[in-house]
Amino acid sequence: MRDYEVVYIFKSSLTTEEIEGRLEAYHGKILAAEGSEITAVDHWGKRQLAYPIDRNDNGYYVVTQFTASPGVLPDFERVLKLDDDLLRHLVVISEGEMPMPVMDQRGRDDDDNGNRRRGRDDSDDDAAEEADGAADDAGDDTADEADDADNDADDAADNDADEGDDAADQADDTDDDADEDDDVDAKRED
Amino acid sequence: MAFRKVCKFCERNVERLDYKDADTLGRLITDRGKILPRRATGTCARHQRQLGTAIKRARYLALIPYIQGYHS
Repeated sequence: MRDYEVVYIFKSSLTTEEIEGRLEAYHGKILAAEGSEITAVDHWGKRQLAYPIDRNDNGYYVVTQFTASPGVLPDFERVLKLDDDLLRHLVVISEGEMPMPVMDQRGRDDDDNGNRRRGRDDSDDDAAEEADGAADDAGDDTADEADDADNDADDAADNDADEGDDAADQADDTDDDADEDDDVDAKRED
Repeated sequence: MAFRKVCKFCERNVERLDYKDADTLGRLITDRGKILPRRATGTCARHQRQLGTAIKRARYLALIPYIQGYHS
């Protein structure tokens, strides 16, 4: 069993009933096999084509998601190809729900790569991996915070040292002043 | 050309680029309909690969043009 997604582009001259009738016929081919299921049918409606297809400037778009075994596809697509009122169709493996739970950025990339290589059907594995990722992230964060604390301590130490220097500088300045005074005095004596 | 540190899809946590999202894809092609290179958009390697597939699917479905501004 696999999740698929198919996009149909019908001629926009068809009536809604004609389109519904065709969808029913196509989907009948999918549902003929046991365990198949139509998950969602989304009518985009009439839309302007980016370029003319067979001199049609508009098309009626329908997006359908379904679950079926790969064996039903040849039969299904043969029906689509034979229909002259269907301008285009595209069947792709559905790549899951669009919005994913937002996770920490660093752990995510690793997870993604792992999941993709392993194939899409083993959802159990995915869940386990995600849990791993979350755990890793948590560990990282605490480590980072510890680092931050260290840095703060260092900064504080630096500041203290600076202040000490300042005090020393000021002391020097007063010394200088005293020297100048001496000079003036010496000149007067001359 | 502005320097972009992070891929705009990574920023938005995009898991899969959707070939049906004509608005987003339309912004990543040139005014002639070519796919913009990574150096122009800052897209990361992973998303650029997905982008290539998505744009080609979208072209087939007449959501975005193969060649823009060309009328025979």
